[in-house]
Amino acid sequence: MERSMKQYERDRKESARLASRLILASGTTTPRVGGVGECTIHIIEDECDIEDLCQEMEKMARIKKSWNFFKREAQMLRDADAVLVTTSLRSLTDPADINCNMCGKIVCEYLKEEEKLPDDPDVAFKGPLCTFRANNIAYAVDGMVNQARTLGIDYGVYWSAGAAAMRMKIVPRDTGFALAVAISVTEKSPFRDIPLRYDEFNQRTMKDRMINRLWPQFRSIYS
Amino acid sequence: MSVIQMDELITKGLDRSVELMAVAANNSFRFKDRNNVKIISVSGEDLEQIAEYCFSLGDMSPLAARDGRHLIQLMKEPCSLMIIGEKRKSDFNYNCGACGYKTCAELNKAEKVESLTANGPSCQFKNINLNIAANAAASMAHKMGLHCRVFSTLAFSAMALEVIEDVDLCISISVSAGKKNPYFDRHEFWTKEHWDEIFNKEFPTYNRGFIGAVEE
Repeated sequence: MERSMKQYERDRKESARLASRLILASGTTTPRVGGVGECTIHIIEDECDIEDLCQEMEKMARIKKSWNFFKREAQMLRDADAVLVTTSLRSLTDPADINCNMCGKIVCEYLKEEEKLPDDPDVAFKGPLCTFRANNIAYAVDGMVNQARTLGIDYGVYWSAGAAAMRMKIVPRDTGFALAVAISVTEKSPFRDIPLRYDEFNQRTMKDRMINRLWPQFRSIYS
Repeated sequence: MSVIQMDELITKGLDRSVELMAVAANNSFRFKDRNNVKIISVSGEDLEQIAEYCFSLGDMSPLAARDGRHLIQLMKEPCSLMIIGEKRKSDFNYNCGACGYKTCAELNKAEKVESLTANGPSCQFKNINLNIAANAAASMAHKMGLHCRVFSTLAFSAMALEVIEDVDLCISISVSAGKKNPYFDRHEFWTKEHWDEIFNKEFPTYNRGFIGAVEE
C-alpha cells in the first residue's frame, strides 16, 4: 500500500477515536430527570474488545428465537470503529420516589418490594426497573446520536450490544439497563443497507469464500 | 420596504420553531422503526389550566407545585409547550425483561394499572422511543437558540386533564423566547427564610458540630 494511503487509514482511525470522546461529552451533558446523575458512558474502541462484545452477542443470539437478530447486529458491530455503551445505574437499585406509575406498580414502595426477574440466561435486563430513571438513557442516546450527526459520523443504536456488555460485566455493577451507540468513520456506513442474512453474507464471509478459498484453488489449477 | 416589529418576529419565529421541533422529534431515531408517538403543542390559555392543576398538587408534590408556579411566570413571555405521548404495550417482541415480565406477550396481557401520571406497566423500549423524540425536539430547540427544558410534571398534568388523549405515557418540552433564560436559577420563587427553613428540615445534620451534638 502506498505511504499516503497508510497515512489516510491511520488518520481515519484517529478521527473516530477523537469523535468518540466528543460524542461521549454530548451524551453526558444531556438532561437527566430530576437532575440526578445516573448514567455512565463507556467507550469500547479496541478491536479485540469489540470482537469480545460481538462474540457475546452471538452467544446470546442462540438463547432464544426473538434474539436471533443479535448475530446480524454483531456482524455490523464488527465494522464499527468504536462502540459507546451507556448505562443507567439507578433504575435497578434506586427508584425515583415520585410515584409515577410508569412501571405499573402505582407507588415506588411497591416497586421496591417487587421481586426482580431471576438471573436466567434468557433475561437480558432484570426488571422491573424504575422506568422513570431508565428513561435517562434515551436522552443520553439521543445526545450521542445528535453529536454524531453534527460531526457527520455514521452511527447505529443497538440494545443487543448494551445487554451483551452487561453480561460481560464490563459496565458498572449496579447497571440495570444499557444501550449501545456504534460509530464508524468509513465511506459507506456499516449500519445501513444491511442484507437480511448479513451474518451469513458480509464482507468477511465473502472474502473468506471467494478470495481465501475459491481463488487459491483457481490459481493452482490455471497456473 | 416593510417593517416587522420585534413582537411579531419573535412570536412567529417561536411558532415556526415549534413546528420544526415536531419535525425533528418525528424524524428522530426509533428502535425497530416503531414510530407511534403522538405530538401536540399547547400554548396560550390552555397552558393556564395545566399550570393551575400542577400548582394544586402542592401537598403531594412540591416539585409539581414549583413547576406550576413557574409556568404561570413563563406564560408572561412568548412560550410554548410540546407534549409527546406514546402507548404502553410492546410491539417489539424483544423479550428483554426490563419491564419485569419475561416476554412481551406477558407484559401485554398484564392488568393495566391506571393513575393520574401514567398507565403501567409499560414497555421500556416504548419509553426510550418516546424520550428520544423528546430529546430530539429539545436539541432542535437548543440549536435554534430557544430557552428549553424538559418537564415530566407538566406532561403528567396534561395527561390527567386529557389535553393529550389516547396515550399511556408522556413527556413535555417547554420552550420560551423570554428575555432571559427562565428555566434555571429560579431564585425569585423563594425567600431566604423559607429556603433556610426547608434546608434545615431536610438536612438537619448539615449545620451540626459533630454527629449527636444537637443544640436545642
